Amino acid sequence: MVIQYIAVFFLLGGLFFLVVGVIGLLRLTDVYTRMHAMGKCDTLGAGMMLIGLMLLILDVTNITKLVLIAVMIGTINPIITHLIAKTAYNRGTPMAEGSFLINTYVASQRRRRRSMLEKSEAKKGDEQSQ
Amino acid sequence: MITTVLYIVVYGLILISLVAIVRAYNGPTVLDRVVAMNVITTNVVLIILIFAHIDRSYYYIDVAFVFVIGTFIGTLCVLKLLREGHII
Repeated sequence: MVIQYIAVFFLLGGLFFLVVGVIGLLRLTDVYTRMHAMGKCDTLGAGMMLIGLMLLILDVTNITKLVLIAVMIGTINPIITHLIAKTAYNRGTPMAEGSFLINTYVASQRRRRRSMLEKSEAKKGDEQSQ
Repeated sequence: MITTVLYIVVYGLILISLVAIVRAYNGPTVLDRVVAMNVITTNVVLIILIFAHIDRSYYYIDVAFVFVIGTFIGTLCVLKLLREGHII
């Protein structure tokens, strides 16, 4: 049957992506790079394997449950990855040797705070002159 | 044919979980261990679903759904403990 071969393709493709992600988890040098490798490959591999299982099962109620699980994994994995990155950044986890950081968020906050300070000081000066 | 492929996929998932356990054992920081446990929980969910199809007992799908929600809450609690120092 053709649909079984398509399902086998999806299952083995998902296994391939999971293997690639785990090789990245084992070989990379940093918390951030490991998380970057795992956060994408894990979601894609799990989604492909769930599509393969949907093609194998072919029953409406069970396919609905599998779609629900796919949606849950597809929303939970990016949320967890984002939270891990935020926690690592707030705890000051050291990066690998030779990597650098361009923090545009802090620079924009400083610029905004400085402009608000200047504005308030100008307003105060006007009130004192009056 | 399809049962053989499913068993190959299950063995591959078990090997992936063992490699992730290696990373969780000698990860230098706590967050490496959190990432490795996240990978292992996803693999466990997939193994449960594949065995639900092999045994033709589709009630395991509900077990996998509850497992997804439980691991999400668990990882969230660990990250909140690391960020703020307390959970509640």
